[in-house]
Parts: sequence; C-alpha cells; structure tokens
Amino acid sequence: MSGSSHFSGRWLFAAFLCIGISLLNVSAWSAEPASEEEWKPPKLPEAVTVKPEGAVLKVAPIDRETRPEIEQAAAQIDSILQAYWDENETKAGEKTTDHEFVRRAYLELAGRIPTIDEARAFCDSTNRKKRGQLIDDLLESPGYVSHLYNYWADILRLKERPSRDLFFEPYMAWVKESIADNMPYDKWVYTLLTANGRVVENPATGFQLRDAGMPLSYVDNTVRVFLGTQIGCAQCHDHPFDRWTQQEFYKLAALTNGSRFSAKQVLFGGASFGPDDSFSDSAPASDSPFKNDDDLIPNLARLRYGMQMAIDEKKIGGGIRNFYGSQTMMISSMDDEFRLPHDYQYEDGAPLDVVEPAVLWGKIPEYADDEDNRARFAAWLTTPDNRQFARNIANRMWKKVMGVGLVEPIDDFQEGNIPAIPELLEHLTDEMLRLNFDLREFVRLLVSTDTYQNVAVIYDPTAAEPHRYAGPALKRMTAEQLWDSLLTLIATNEWAYQRPTAQDLQTVYGIDMSVLDYEQFEQSYKNYNEYNRGLSRSRSKNCGLNGLVLARASELPQPSGASHLLRQFGQGDREAIETARRSATVPQILTLFNGWMTHAMLSQGSVIYDSVSAQKTMKSAVDTIFLAVLTHEPDADMRRAAEQEIQQASSPAAGCGNLIWALLNTREFLFID
Amino acid sequence: MFHKRYEKHVEHHQTRRAILSGIASTLGVSVMSPWSRVLEAAPATNATKAKKVIYFYMGGAMSHIDTFDPKPDRPDIQGDVGVVKTKTPGVVFGEHMTNLADLQDKLAVVRSMTTETADHQKARYWLQTSYPVLNSIRHPSMGAWISNEMGKINQGLPPYVLVNSGGNGHPGAGFLEPSLTPVPVADPEKGIENTELPSYLTDAVFKRRLSLADRIDSGFRERYAGYQLESYNQMYKDAVKLMGGTDLEAFDLTKEKEEVKERYGSSKVGLGALLARRLVEADVRFVQVDYGGWDMHNDVASSMADKGPALDQAVSALIRDLDSSGLLNETLIVLASEFGRSPAINQNAGRDHHPAAFSYVLAGAGIKGGAVYGKSDEKGHGIDEDPVGITDFNSTITVACGLDPNKEHFAPNGRPFKIGGGGDPIYDVLT
Repeated sequence: MSGSSHFSGRWLFAAFLCIGISLLNVSAWSAEPASEEEWKPPKLPEAVTVKPEGAVLKVAPIDRETRPEIEQAAAQIDSILQAYWDENETKAGEKTTDHEFVRRAYLELAGRIPTIDEARAFCDSTNRKKRGQLIDDLLESPGYVSHLYNYWADILRLKERPSRDLFFEPYMAWVKESIADNMPYDKWVYTLLTANGRVVENPATGFQLRDAGMPLSYVDNTVRVFLGTQIGCAQCHDHPFDRWTQQEFYKLAALTNGSRFSAKQVLFGGASFGPDDSFSDSAPASDSPFKNDDDLIPNLARLRYGMQMAIDEKKIGGGIRNFYGSQTMMISSMDDEFRLPHDYQYEDGAPLDVVEPAVLWGKIPEYADDEDNRARFAAWLTTPDNRQFARNIANRMWKKVMGVGLVEPIDDFQEGNIPAIPELLEHLTDEMLRLNFDLREFVRLLVSTDTYQNVAVIYDPTAAEPHRYAGPALKRMTAEQLWDSLLTLIATNEWAYQRPTAQDLQTVYGIDMSVLDYEQFEQSYKNYNEYNRGLSRSRSKNCGLNGLVLARASELPQPSGASHLLRQFGQGDREAIETARRSATVPQILTLFNGWMTHAMLSQGSVIYDSVSAQKTMKSAVDTIFLAVLTHEPDADMRRAAEQEIQQASSPAAGCGNLIWALLNTREFLFID
Repeated sequence: MFHKRYEKHVEHHQTRRAILSGIASTLGVSVMSPWSRVLEAAPATNATKAKKVIYFYMGGAMSHIDTFDPKPDRPDIQGDVGVVKTKTPGVVFGEHMTNLADLQDKLAVVRSMTTETADHQKARYWLQTSYPVLNSIRHPSMGAWISNEMGKINQGLPPYVLVNSGGNGHPGAGFLEPSLTPVPVADPEKGIENTELPSYLTDAVFKRRLSLADRIDSGFRERYAGYQLESYNQMYKDAVKLMGGTDLEAFDLTKEKEEVKERYGSSKVGLGALLARRLVEADVRFVQVDYGGWDMHNDVASSMADKGPALDQAVSALIRDLDSSGLLNETLIVLASEFGRSPAINQNAGRDHHPAAFSYVLAGAGIKGGAVYGKSDEKGHGIDEDPVGITDFNSTITVACGLDPNKEHFAPNGRPFKIGGGGDPIYDVLT
C-alpha cells in the first residue's frame, strides 16, 4: 500500500500549487474557463524564512523553585470545585491528552498553536513533570507578552491615533513592556491612574488621555474595567437597577476631576473640563517636561505662526499641526471644584452645587491623605483593602483562562448578580492578594489546576442547567490567536518586524516646545515622518506579502483596517471597552478559502511547505500535516481520507496542498478545545 | 437588573408609555400624554408596505440640533452650524442638509426620540435589537427579524448585508438561525473579497477539498455540537453558495459609471449608499449602511462640515435614484443613531452625549412623506410632545414592513419576544 511507498525528496518541488498545470483547461469553479495564466505562488520575504538570532524580547524570569507551591495551591482550587461538583451531581471532566494539552497551552500562554517541533518535543517527553515545565517555559516567552498585550489592548482601547493629536505609540509600547517586566497589577493600575506629563516622556498618561475632556466617561470606564462595576447609568439619573445614585457618581467623578490636558492649561491654569457647565478656573501645576516654562506660551505662539506661514506657502503639509498638537497634549492634576449638573433633580442636592469628592465604598487609605485627588482615587481603587479590585481581576483572569467568568458579565458586579461559585471567587480573590497582584503567577496557578487540564466543555448561556466549570469552555480562537497561528504555519521567524520600544520613540518624538525655533520644530517633524516611513519600509521589506505584514498581531498597526483578516475574525475597533468578537461571518470563510495567508502557507518557503517537503513517505507527510495544523496524528479514518486524496490528486504535492487546505478549513482548527 | 426591565418591556408592554414617561421625567423632560393619539390611530390595512429596507446607522451618536432639529431661535445652542429651509414653511434642517431639505416632502422626521442610556454600546444594542443587553441571550437585530419573517427574495444572495463594518459588536442573528447574520462588507469599493478561487484550482478540486475537510472534521463537530460550531457550519455553506452564485456583481461598484459615483460622493456613506442601491436592485432584503464618526465631543461645527454634506449627498442621491426607478415604493429607508448630542456646547466647542432627545428620519415605502412627528423642547434638551422610545420606533419599522408588531415569537429558551420590542408604532408617519 502506498503508505509505505517511497517519495523522493524531490517529489514536492512541483509545488503544492502547481497542480493546476494539468488541469488548467478544465472549467473552473465559477463556471468560466480557468485562467490561462499560470498561477504564481507568492514569494515569502526572506526575513520571515530564517530563524531569529538571539532573544526577541526580554521577559522577566519565572521562579521555577515555586512550582511545588503553585501545584499545592492549584490542588486547593480543584478541591473547591470538586466539592461543588459533588454537591451538584456533576461528573469531573476527563483529563486531556498530551496533544490536546500542548495545543491549548500554547494558544493560551503563547498566543498561537505549537510548531511541529514544539508539539513533538512535548508529546515525546517522558518527564512526568512536563506539563508544569511547559507552563513555566511559555509564561516567560515573548509569545505570552504578545498574547497578553492583545488582551489588554482590547480592554484599554489601544490605537495609534485615538484623535488627531494623540500619538499613542509610546503608550502601546509601554503596556507591552510592563507585561514583559511583569509589573504587579496594582502598581500598574496605580501608574495608569496617576501618570503626569506627556505620552512621550511618560507613556502611562495614555490611559487618562484616552478620555481627555470627558471626566464622567473617564470615571465610568475606569470603574468598569478595574472594579467590574457599571455606574454609567448614574451619570444622568439614579441607577435604575443597581444601588448607585447620581450624587454618588458625581462625588466619585469629583475625585478624578481637575486634570488638564494641554501644556497651556497645565502651566498657566485655566478652565478645566467638566460636564456641560461645571468648570472653574484654577492655578497652574508645578510639574512640567519643559525647560523653559516661562517662555513656553510665547514660543508656542511663534511656532504656530511659523507653522501657518509654512503651510500657507505650501512648504509643508497640514499634518504638522497634528504633530504640534501631540507635543502639547499633556496631563496634570489640579484639585478643582466639581459641580452637579444644571438639571440635577434629586433632593439631596441642588443643580450646580459643588460636590464633595467621595469614594463609592470603604475609605481612602490614610497614607494618601496628603496627595491630590487623583492619587487618592488611585490609592483607594488599588489598595488591598478594596477587595473588589482584587476580586474583579481574579474573575477576569479566571474567565480568560476558563472561558466563563464566575460573575458574568465580568463588568457587572452587583448585589443581584450572584457569583456561580461564591466560595471559589472569594478563594481566588484571596489568592490574588496572597500573590501580591502578580498576574502571571495567578495565571500560572489557574493553568496548573487539574480542572484547566480537563477536556473542554460547551458553555451555553441559554441552557437550563447552570454552567459547572468542569473544564475550560470551548471557544473560537481570538482573531489574534488565529493570525499568529497562521503565521506559525508560514513564518520561521514570527518576529521579523517588531514595534519600536517606548525608549526608541522618546528619542524621535520627545522635543522641547519651550526652546525650539520654528526651523528646528519643522525639522523634528520631518525626522518623525522619516522615522515612520522607515518603519513602514522595514515592515514591507521584512514581512510584506501582498499588503499583509507577516508579523505577530501585537506588532502590527492597530487596529488593522476593516477588511484585514484580523478584523474579519473580530479584532476590536478599539473605540470602546472590549469590542473584540468571536462570531462567524461569511468573509472569514472566504478569506480562509482564498486569502493570501492561505496562499502563502501553500508556497515554497513556508514552514509547513518545507516541513512536508522534507518527508520521505506519504505516511510521514500526512503525520506532519496533521501535527502542524491540528496538533495531533490522524486516526485511521482521517488517514485513509488523507491518503486517498494524495493518491487521487494530480501529484503528491498537490494532494498535500489540498490536505493542508482542508485541515485549515475544519472547525477543529478554529476552535480551542 | 435586566430582568425587571425585560419584564417591563415584554410582559407589560401596554404600560410602556407610562414607563417611558417615567424615564423621560427622570431625564428632566416634561411629557404630554400620548395615549389619545395612539388610541385614535388605527393601522392602515391596504397601504403599500416595504419589501426591503435600507438602514443608515450613524455610529457615535449624531447631533440632532445640527441635522434634523435645529434651534435657530437659540443661537447659544445652535452654535456655528446654520440652518436651511425645507419645502414646508417653518421646518428647517441643519445647514449641511441642503439636498434632504429639498426632499423633505418625502421624509418623515421624528423629532422626539428618546432612549435610556448614554453608553454607546448599550444604546446601539438597544437600537438594533429593541432589547437591553442581557447576558443570557443574544437578541436578533431588526435586519435578522425582518429577513426571518419575510425570507430571501434572491436565493443566490444573502438576505442581510452590513456595509462599512466588519460586523464587530453587531448583534447579528441573535438567537435566530446563524444564516441570518449580516454579511459584512468592510469596504464598499472592495465588495466581498476572496470570492474567486486561485487560477490553478478547479471546481472539482475545490469540492474535493471541501469534502475532505468535512470528513476529517466530522468527529470534532459531533463531539462539540452546539451553537458555536453550528454557526460556522452554516457560514461555510453560505460562503460556498455565494462563490458559486452569479449575483456577486451586485457587490461590484466598478460596474457603476463615474458620473453616478460622483452623485453619491466618494465618502464611505456615499459608496455605502450606492452599494445599498445595487443590493436592493438585486433583491437583498435588508441592507444596513454604517457611517461612524459622529461622536463630536470636540469642535462640532468643523466635524459637521466634514460629515454632514457627505451624509446629505449620499442619502439624497439614493432617494432620488430609487424614486426614479420606482423602487422607493417598495423600499423603506431609515436613518438612525444611538442617541443625540447635548444642546450645550462644551469647552472644546463640541457636544457631549445626550440620550433625552434626538431625531430619526424615515422615507420610502410605508411612510408618509413630509411628516414631522413630535417636538423637542426649545433647547432640544427634552421632549415637549409625543416622546418616541426605541421600541416605538422599531415597531414603526415593523409595521412599515407589513409585519405584526404584537405577534409573539419564541426564542429557543421559550421566552417570548416581539419584533420592535412591543412598542407603540407611530401611525402618524405610516401610510
């Protein structure tokens, strides 16, 4: 039987795609004659076909010594679940096979499917502790950072240009770097809520600048993301279904009010941005990134004048205005009066009354007494005493790993919304506190449970029976997981393009608007443009393929254009909190059928093409294809189907191409089980 | 929390007006009783009803004051955007709506819209489904309801197309069949991409590939059978059907003359409107055209100068074309947004979110042209006359399509729902 027939090493040189040669005259799918032109497979850029040299990203190391403690702690979670299952007569799930586990672990912890070598290395290992080791290896890989960045980018609404004069590249780089450094989550959030200055010198200011000028939206978004509570309704009236009153909303907003968003306001005071009619004047702040504060305003006027002349004389494009704007957007805090809206209608206050700042529950930690309002707000929000802060992130991470939150929706904690397993949520909250908000340790803990290592279950929110968390829920890959997995099948080097670091960007963007003359300013703008052109050139030179950039999703411009594969598969538009989706649409399928990622995969130089070409027998070719795409070997029927196809095709190569295409178009490929 | 609201809307729809009044008064709005009007009006039985719908959705919340409900007597509120007269004395539009002002006798303008949240996502879901966001169920969007009830006209094309969007955040088919998910066309100029097989691939090989995938995947599909996989199974069928069909030309804007494109304009909404016209000509049931960028917190006058004329040009060109081809008699046109924008102009010369009062426009089949329904107060802040909630508006669309807004439809979990959410249709704008 042909399973053992020998394939010469040359058998695939005909290329997977060239099957058409013998079939060109047969009518094509569209019922029109097939093109007479020979199909030209895309040529992969060289940089993606060679292994990267050295580390692509520095990631904080994991403490391997603590593995036994992690496993003990994981067992505690399992026993809480076991008690819950016993109580509800639920059977514990079955344990995953190594093949199932390695695929799931890579997707969850490195953001992509494993390569053939990675899958083999794991499955062939006889080490009894290999699952724990794999988890630890992946948690300190660049893939983990990239994957977690994508997760937060959707929550934080990260995009390069939220408005014309916000240049967010340094902020986006900083978010990724803080994940690589494994900055404790409480410190990270505190930093986001209190950062001062410009994005270029202090990238964390991006979080507050994203809602610049909208203090009510800002407090609504912040509470929703970091406390899992929706108080937005109370912006206009008492919350109809939860306990929050409009007065409470305004008191909290008063704590975050007083931020200034332009250099002029920061240095020279001026009206703050309040709701429609609640602004007031105040004194300037003391901190400034500029050398010569006294001369800043006259100098800005000079720069604007020079800019206008140059634009009028058509010496420079209007884009320089945005650059100017970006250099003067900055944030600083000043405690201001904050007033109730003009149409306030409850009895506990009168319209336009000054609001006393207050927190929603608990109290502001004493150590923050001498700080400004914003720092007091951040201290209250992130203190371990504010248990909801820990509970919220514990529930978020649980959902991220297990697919379904213990409280759903994850941003709607309220009295009436009872957690699925209250004692588990409280235990996870304790663990988050015990681990001092080390999110990576927390994820390490969750994926080390037996429950995570059980076979997947289906989550049906409309089912009569409650979800029992007997294993992670079956879910479609995120858009980024899919893109990065396709990339794994194509590119030997998935990091052939990386976004610049915050430090790189500071040297290009960071200019002092108080001392430059117009000529120097214009030169800086030109340098900045040239720098961006350079990045774009290096993207297309290293990774370009028919308008696509063959690099990890986290390194691409964000968000991608509306018809990009990432957006087709539901990457968020980054306009609102968590807009990513996993639902099916027709264009997704068409792209998997006929898109350039599929073509690239079936072309010489792609990882899977070269791996299959190196095989000597049909059996090993089939094994390789299954392992590469679905991370397991074929069962008997699958093998029969695959071999039949290869024999039936115009050439073995063409048959292999058809098999790869077919596996790519299975539900099994798209879903994480 | 939503359970209460759900009950209000589903089981006690008859008290909706009272509830709405309650909410409106919470928002600082004075409400006149609309009961008499509702009770007097009766649905017309023999009038022309819409067979197709083109639904313009203005993402980001379009300012009512700068478009269809200006306040020229209040310069402090009107700001820098002027007004233009329409054919009806006393009825003016925002200065950029010049073409639509000419067509005002074909439009029904609802100036007393009001909704319950100023959160973009929630308000958009509410608008598109007539129900609040609930974790335990995904409600169908209006296009899915209407496609489900009225069926496909052209069997070779999807019944429901979403233009200028990748489909993110759209409720889609909700709990109805996954095939009722709108097919997104992110870029009208590109139409539906990747519909052609590479030149080397024949029909026969393509089919072989598909059946190979099918066979290998069968075990997995059985093991994890459920809604998630079923929706993908369905999309695979639809994608193959679409590729094999002969109607794909409907998606191809290159078939249009330059002169025609110029009339619609090269904006996203212009191209979207043109594509919508081609799609209804090819008998697609429901086309939604998205046009975002209305979240004008900063400098509303200059942002309006950018968006306003593009919208005016696109919608007016579409109405004129459909009118001359006769298709306007069977096509309903809707222009809606998740909420309005504040009368007060903020520090940044922009307008902030405003759910208490805003305007929608209807035209075409089933609609009484020239109607102006409802009144906002002198500032455009609250409603003075005839408040219209989202479910009332969606029930109006339902009636315009000849469907029964009071009929109960049951979700797979047994809960009853109504197309339009059980609101009270505005018979004053219906033929």
